[in-house]
Amino acid sequence: MTTMLEIDHVTYQWPGGQGQLGPITAAIDRGQLIGLMGPNGAGKSTLLKLIGSFWPKDAGHIQILGQDVRRLSAPERAQRLAFVPQTLSTQFDLTVREVVELGRLSQRSWRDRFLFRGRMSSGGLDAILDATELRGLQDRPFNALSGGEARRVLLASALAQKAPLLLLDEPTAHLDPGHAVKFLNLVRKMVDEDGMTVLMAYHDLATVGLYTDALWVMDQGQLVLQGSPETVLTDPKIRAIYHADLLPMRHPTTNRPMLIFP
Amino acid sequence: MTRTKRTLGNFLGAGLALCLVLILGVMHGPTAIPLPIILDRLVHPNGSVTSVIIWDIRLPEVAAAALVGGGLSVAGAVMQALLKNPLADPYIVGASAGAGLGATLAEEFVPLLNMMAPGAFIGALAAVLLSYLLSRGRGTTSMLTLILAGYAVGVILTSVTTFLMLMNRQDLSTIFAWEIGGIDGVTWTHVVLSGVLMGISLIVIWPFAHDMNALLLGEEQAHHLGVPVRRVQFILLVAASLLTAAAVYISGLIGFVGLVIPHIVRRLNGSNHRQLLPLAFLVGAVFLALAEILAESIPVVGPIPVGLVTAFLGGPYFLYLLVKQNRQGAWPA
Repeated sequence: MTTMLEIDHVTYQWPGGQGQLGPITAAIDRGQLIGLMGPNGAGKSTLLKLIGSFWPKDAGHIQILGQDVRRLSAPERAQRLAFVPQTLSTQFDLTVREVVELGRLSQRSWRDRFLFRGRMSSGGLDAILDATELRGLQDRPFNALSGGEARRVLLASALAQKAPLLLLDEPTAHLDPGHAVKFLNLVRKMVDEDGMTVLMAYHDLATVGLYTDALWVMDQGQLVLQGSPETVLTDPKIRAIYHADLLPMRHPTTNRPMLIFP
Repeated sequence: MTRTKRTLGNFLGAGLALCLVLILGVMHGPTAIPLPIILDRLVHPNGSVTSVIIWDIRLPEVAAAALVGGGLSVAGAVMQALLKNPLADPYIVGASAGAGLGATLAEEFVPLLNMMAPGAFIGALAAVLLSYLLSRGRGTTSMLTLILAGYAVGVILTSVTTFLMLMNRQDLSTIFAWEIGGIDGVTWTHVVLSGVLMGISLIVIWPFAHDMNALLLGEEQAHHLGVPVRRVQFILLVAASLLTAAAVYISGLIGFVGLVIPHIVRRLNGSNHRQLLPLAFLVGAVFLALAEILAESIPVVGPIPVGLVTAFLGGPYFLYLLVKQNRQGAWPA
């Protein structure tokens, strides 16, 4: 099995003496969906920003498919790694289709950029719009969409990047359960059918075990637990991390592990 | 499909309007020249008074108005994308104050040569670069800091300008006229020089149209989409300043065109920069050429600087946008 992402002794000093992240060492194999857990302020978003090299790490190495992320040019990086932010607002009226098309930005040659050939092949784009159920919305202004629709547009844009590794920052935050389930099923399908690798910051202990292949748990800037949902969710340390007396349960139909409030 | 048609219609409309306004601009003036004579003299210039008026006075003025209007509009559109603020304009990060100081310094210290325009040009670029360098942070450049730094640099440079003006009172009227902005007395030299500079800036800006779309989603998302954010911001900032300086070189500080025109075009045609940039150029050119005709047609007082006309038209419209967006809650308190 190939290693998709390798994080090796990565550290980061938060500005203003707010402490340090890491050193963190971990790896993800190709075709896995990893849930990145931890209480607020544990460092989940920071770790995602470091992997995406939006923030410069202080030490260590991050490799995607064996290549150092910092050595890649911006377009090269975007062809390997895509990022779906939690929310995104803009005061400008781009359409849904224009936002999704931005996923192809890193694949444009200089020739493309100078000539009036803005549109990507409609076949590839339409398939993505269908998969994310956005076809009917493609000419709507992006900034007028509901939370669930906007999240799907950002996912579609990330899919258009055709990157094998996808980072999701709390993709279901502020979504109602119906939209959340739909979104998670879509992500799971991308992993199972298209062989994508996903690292997803996620909060819900009751549902995380139903969708993921493995869990990473962070606390106070450290990666404190790693393993299958089974082992992590039943580890006694998890209660101390969340300062809550959580109850381990099993899903009534799938028998997958869950943690629920006492 | 309908969007493509609408875009096509917008381009055709703007192109047609530009042709009409250019012709109207040549016809219109202290003595009106009928269209058949204009067309004849354009093809066969014969050294007559009419021919000289058409070729050496009206054409350069109309071309200059169109260039300045188009250039300022594109520069405004770029600044709005860079600063992620639809109410940004080409002067927002210190270009106008820098140009003002540059022009004043040139007027004060090199009075024999006409160095005001090149002085303005250098001043504008220097002020923008200074603001940019001051706002460079770790990893990224904060665009909010850039606005604030640009504001502070602007205030400082403007006070230096005012001080210099007070030291030497006889130059006040020239500089004052320059700060309002006008197109009178433009020659082909101005038009060609400015046109070349604008051409260079536009060629630099154009291939980054998609990157500007990405920047509208914020720097972090643009980064993840594969935009080398810091480098692109720097290139666009310099190119937009060059464009602004090339316009300022011809006309002085004409206000509101660079703010209002990109905004109107966004309304008409959306924010996709592949369409916005060329369309903003066309609409800006039409707007300023038309404003110049208006400026020459005010009864009783005679010709007034075109900067006054754009301020009269653009100022109220800007306030309308501001109040409207504020009431829609577009900005956090």
